Amino acid sequence: MDITILGSQIIGIIPLGDIVFYFTQFNLFMFATALAFTAIVAISKTETQVEAEFGKLGDRAVTVAKKEFKIRRFLAIICGLATAGAMITGDLFDFTLFVCLTGIVNIGIVGAVRQVDVLDAAYQYGLIAMMASLPLFGGAALILAATGTLSLLEINSLTYTTPMMILGSILLFLGVAGETGVAPFFATKAEMFRTPGSPFLLIIHLSSLLILVRLIEILLMINKPF
Amino acid sequence: MNLMTNILINVIIAFFIGSLLFGLQRKIMARIQGRPGPPIIQHILHTFKFFIKESAFPYTAAMPFYIAITAMLSMIWVAAVIVGPVTGGSLLLIFGIYAVHKIVEHNAGSSSGSPYGKLSCVRAVYSAAAEIPLFAVLVIIYFKTGTMNITGLINYQTVHGPLLYAIPLAALMFFVLIMSKAPYSPFAITKGKDIVSGYETEHFGLLRGYLMMSESIAWYMLLWVFLTVFLGPISIPVYLIGMIVMSSIIAFINATTPLLNPNHSIMMQVTFAFIGIVGSFALLMI
Repeated sequence: MDITILGSQIIGIIPLGDIVFYFTQFNLFMFATALAFTAIVAISKTETQVEAEFGKLGDRAVTVAKKEFKIRRFLAIICGLATAGAMITGDLFDFTLFVCLTGIVNIGIVGAVRQVDVLDAAYQYGLIAMMASLPLFGGAALILAATGTLSLLEINSLTYTTPMMILGSILLFLGVAGETGVAPFFATKAEMFRTPGSPFLLIIHLSSLLILVRLIEILLMINKPF
Repeated sequence: MNLMTNILINVIIAFFIGSLLFGLQRKIMARIQGRPGPPIIQHILHTFKFFIKESAFPYTAAMPFYIAITAMLSMIWVAAVIVGPVTGGSLLLIFGIYAVHKIVEHNAGSSSGSPYGKLSCVRAVYSAAAEIPLFAVLVIIYFKTGTMNITGLINYQTVHGPLLYAIPLAALMFFVLIMSKAPYSPFAITKGKDIVSGYETEHFGLLRGYLMMSESIAWYMLLWVFLTVFLGPISIPVYLIGMIVMSSIIAFINATTPLLNPNHSIMMQVTFAFIGIVGSFALLMI
């Protein structure tokens, strides 16, 4: 297969109707990493946080209750699988759907915690994620309107970049930033991460950073060099 | 050379050179501060020492996540050596590996249940905002050269000269990023001594050995990527000199600068990023 993406040769594609997954060295590594971490999260217990008691000399152990553990683990696995899908999809619309799904389950992972501060942070994150879905899908729609396709392989073969494609890219970036809660929307995430449940928090962070790196790849495919 | 032999040799070289550079940094810092300092091989000795020490696991840790995260850190940096010096593959992939390193750093801290690790974890989340320069550097390099392949970048510089002169602000941003990974750096908030050893606090014995080994390889790789991407086709002695010079400059900065408060650290890195991004795009368009 003689297709090159950003200087890397495509190793293979998996066509599933109009959904095409493709693999380069980069996509394959990111996909495998997402799956490996998902597997680890699926089999791991949560840590016990030891906190000093106020006004006493004793310690207080903060653990994750079994019911809460089950729902958070389920959502974490869905998040991991959605992230893995976003790493290899060859369709821009599928990518936005995977990103949206990770945003929703991330809110669920922290929304299941029964702590007021954490719930408050999850609520703020939820608002950002909900608002970010407009530029996310709007950006993909503009790129479709400007290029006539959502296939990343087709977009990669284009030799031009129009102003509408640049605008679509900016909107797409804003959408992903909001959905994944990266800078400048990261402040609420730091508050959410104070709660126990390290494996579940990992998947939130993992999905954000991996999707962001993948987004860079997609944006570089859309916007050609000077 | 056989591929497996090539990988093995490169990983060993990365570990030893990375460890020696860490040792050199500590020596230079000590001399600047008027202390004799440890021998340059101290980091290597420390790493080997941890491999033969008894391993202990906190009863509060999230098992087997707590152990797997350490193995993951080692695997991703060995993968970086394969992608970089061995095969000259995708630069984007190396930055992907760096992103995974951030995740591991974050969760190695929180998985133990230690409050120091947890603080390091929260700081790691904050410091993810300072990774903006990382992605900006990638975009700028691609817009300038049209490739993300390391071999392609070397070939580009063979024809057009080092990228250091063409996109100096991108090089500066990347240098700041490397500096943030150096121990005792003003930006090393995840391993600040105010939180004991940050995410490494509750990792003992074998696990600590793996963490230290991975950090040495990571240091070597970051310097290797910088020199390859911004200086192009250079010989092995020039690589060595470049790594020593960069480590020495960073040691000097670390010795004379206090650890910044997390908010200041992030804002300073974001300011560098803003100047670098705007300036680099201005330079590209001129």
